[in-house]
Amino acid sequence: MKDDHVGTELADCLRDIARGRADAFRRLYEAEAGRMLGIALRILKRRALAEEAVHDAFVSIWNHAATYESRLGSPRGWMHTIVRNRALNILRGESRTELTDTLEPLDIASEAENPEEAVSRLSDSEALKHCLDRLEPAPRHAVVLAYVEGLSHGEIAERLRIPLGTIKSRIRRSLLALKECLG
Amino acid sequence: MSLSRDDMALAGEFVLGVLDRAERASVERRIQRDPAFAAAVADWQRHFAGLDATTPGVTPSPELWSRIEASRLAQRSGRPATRGEPLLSRLWNSLRLWRPAGLAGTLAALVLGFALLMRISAGPETPQLVAVLSAPDGRAAAVVNAYANGTVQLIPLDTIPVPDGRVLEVWTLQTREQGPVSLARMDKARTIRLDLRGLSPAQVGHLFEITLEPQGGSPTGKPTGPVLMKGLAATRL
Repeated sequence: MKDDHVGTELADCLRDIARGRADAFRRLYEAEAGRMLGIALRILKRRALAEEAVHDAFVSIWNHAATYESRLGSPRGWMHTIVRNRALNILRGESRTELTDTLEPLDIASEAENPEEAVSRLSDSEALKHCLDRLEPAPRHAVVLAYVEGLSHGEIAERLRIPLGTIKSRIRRSLLALKECLG
Repeated sequence: MSLSRDDMALAGEFVLGVLDRAERASVERRIQRDPAFAAAVADWQRHFAGLDATTPGVTPSPELWSRIEASRLAQRSGRPATRGEPLLSRLWNSLRLWRPAGLAGTLAALVLGFALLMRISAGPETPQLVAVLSAPDGRAAAVVNAYANGTVQLIPLDTIPVPDGRVLEVWTLQTREQGPVSLARMDKARTIRLDLRGLSPAQVGHLFEITLEPQGGSPTGKPTGPVLMKGLAATRL
């Protein structure tokens, strides 16, 4: 989005990967793995698990590069979706929240950031920022927290000390309002 | 063509990440067979993409690339990558989550998995669950066998230095509500048999860990010390 040049380069890279070019795969890794790890880490909190998500995402990109097409969004967005889905499935599949809290307190905290910072980095021209800002502060916070950290309804309810039913309907209403605004 | 409000919201909830495991799985199936719904999901993904695009990068560990390459090459040579029947691949899959380091650990786990296969098929007493515990550097450090009668055997594969005044404590995770449950303490790594008969079999956790704790065990009843090794069990052998 920010620059089409990078998008074109990555799209070329994906096309080469689809033809089985290992050097292109390496180039893609060098260029994109760091940010993908950042995305996975926000959700999984633990580096070993986050690297597992990035591992799985790259193997999947190697296998499915041929299925990328521009109507799915930018190449970067496509790859981010892959790693994010993988991270969410690891998070939901393994019921590891308890362990993250109690067994391995040493790991991550220093690398975590406030979810709002992700919003503050959005450019003012971006529709998402404009539309998020039109929500009430509390629902807006719940939506941002959900996306950035991948929290479930229940986890958000717990974190914000708000009844589960309230959170569910609040998020649903916010999404429909966002949809209206984003078109 | 146009989606109901419910479906539009559901697609948004999926992308937001608030759905639980079962709900996610059901939405993923729907994406496969319902193009209109899939398009709504893609729209949401595009809308939220900005929140990912500006994420600060984190430098991956040097091993990550070699692991990705190993997996890529392994699947090219036709090794089963999904959970199929062979024990080996199931062990492989269940361990992958816990494999923090490089290929050495993976290979050790595979070799070990194979050794286990031989042993298990030979013995009259068949474990219901087998876990290979890995040290933080990825080495296979212990094997846990859980039997149908509720007993669990822990077999260390390596010596573990235990400082004076400390003990090793074995834990299993059963339910999130309950958190990790202590199974045993020992002053040095040795083969022990644990009795889990007090716990319902369905509750016997798939995750085992050993931490270093003060003499007498964790003062809080939950792990407090560093994790020396951990592993996820493979079920139904």
